[in-house]
Amino acid sequence: MTELIRLTDVTKVYQGGITGALNGLSVTIEEGEFTAIMGPSGSGKSTMLNLVAGLDRPTSGDVVVGDTDLGKLGEAGLARFRRDHIGFVFQFFYLLPNLTALENVLIPAQLKGIVAPGRALELLDRLGIKDIANSYPARLSGGQQQRVAIARALINNPTMLLADEPTGALDTHTGDQVMELLGQLHRDGQTILLVTHDAKLATRHAARVLSVMDGKIVDDARLESPERAPSEMIRVRSEEASR
Amino acid sequence: MSLKYGVLGLLKGEPLHGYEVKNRFEAMLGGTWEVNIGQIYTTLQRLERDGLVRPVGSRGDRGKLQYELSPEGHKALDHWLAQPDLGPQQLHEEIYVKLLLATRIANGDLQPLLARQKRAYLQRLRDLNRLEERARRDGRIDLARLVRGALLHTEADLKWMDELSSERFGAEGAAKK
Repeated sequence: MTELIRLTDVTKVYQGGITGALNGLSVTIEEGEFTAIMGPSGSGKSTMLNLVAGLDRPTSGDVVVGDTDLGKLGEAGLARFRRDHIGFVFQFFYLLPNLTALENVLIPAQLKGIVAPGRALELLDRLGIKDIANSYPARLSGGQQQRVAIARALINNPTMLLADEPTGALDTHTGDQVMELLGQLHRDGQTILLVTHDAKLATRHAARVLSVMDGKIVDDARLESPERAPSEMIRVRSEEASR
Repeated sequence: MSLKYGVLGLLKGEPLHGYEVKNRFEAMLGGTWEVNIGQIYTTLQRLERDGLVRPVGSRGDRGKLQYELSPEGHKALDHWLAQPDLGPQQLHEEIYVKLLLATRIANGDLQPLLARQKRAYLQRLRDLNRLEERARRDGRIDLARLVRGALLHTEADLKWMDELSSERFGAEGAAKK
């Protein structure tokens, strides 16, 4: 596999000591990996994601994505980088309320000067929401809105999909469906970075779990996927029928 | 719970012989509780002794002897089903004992032990997630629900390790020395 992301000794200091600072964080991530980033709130996991996305700049250290050293890019360069390489999904979907689902999905393509209704519809179809293409966000359920947001994140074929608590505002069932979708995208080759505090979700599709604490990676777990018998994983018994 | 009520519950539907009880019991629990046939026979004999089940037909061929619930058996089963589970909290205490002992021995640095345990829990979550997926694919919603319970318990174990980790568990032991 090819290396896609490299963070080297990255620090991020916030004025007034707001939480989320990074404290000398280094990690590399390969193309096609599904990596979960876990940690308590304020640990720096979202900050890490924002730096990879080019939404924010480190105080020191290097952030390299593909061949691009983000530190060498100006504001316009960063905007271009985000547009061409990053798909971002947030906890609260951030759809524009006065545009239809389809129009929302098309925004990133239009920023690139491309009109791509065909691809947008294809994405909506793939995400199972083609029928709501012409509906406005207010008419959609949380799960549908998040699917629209995922389609919008994918419209420009991003190098990587970054998801920050994408199921945080959804009920368990809808959240499961969104996670299933991310798993499917990963099986199709999409590189995914998922920030979550839910370990159950993190381990569902991600084979790698980074634990962030106090602005540092304290564990980098690569999980295995062996076939195991149910009795090796769960034992439903406590006492024996000896009475 | 003990095997006793599992056997009573299965016999409520229809009379069964020992092997049928064993197979249905294991199938019901999706392979998460394996019992040997000896345990089943012992349980059936005790239940018969206590008047909760009785044999159907002749006692000739023991292996094929079928049992059914007696009226007392029905009553006992209904009573048990209506009770909440009141036992003490079952903890997987081995790691805690390890941590306590390691505190005295390891000069307070338990972080590596905690980190290894957290990894083990992450791997277990991964395994359980795959089992849940498999169960759902096979249409075993009952097993999937059980796995869901196991996932939530493991998540709690992981959070416990996180908490111990963030409060620098063991450091107080080192300070006392």
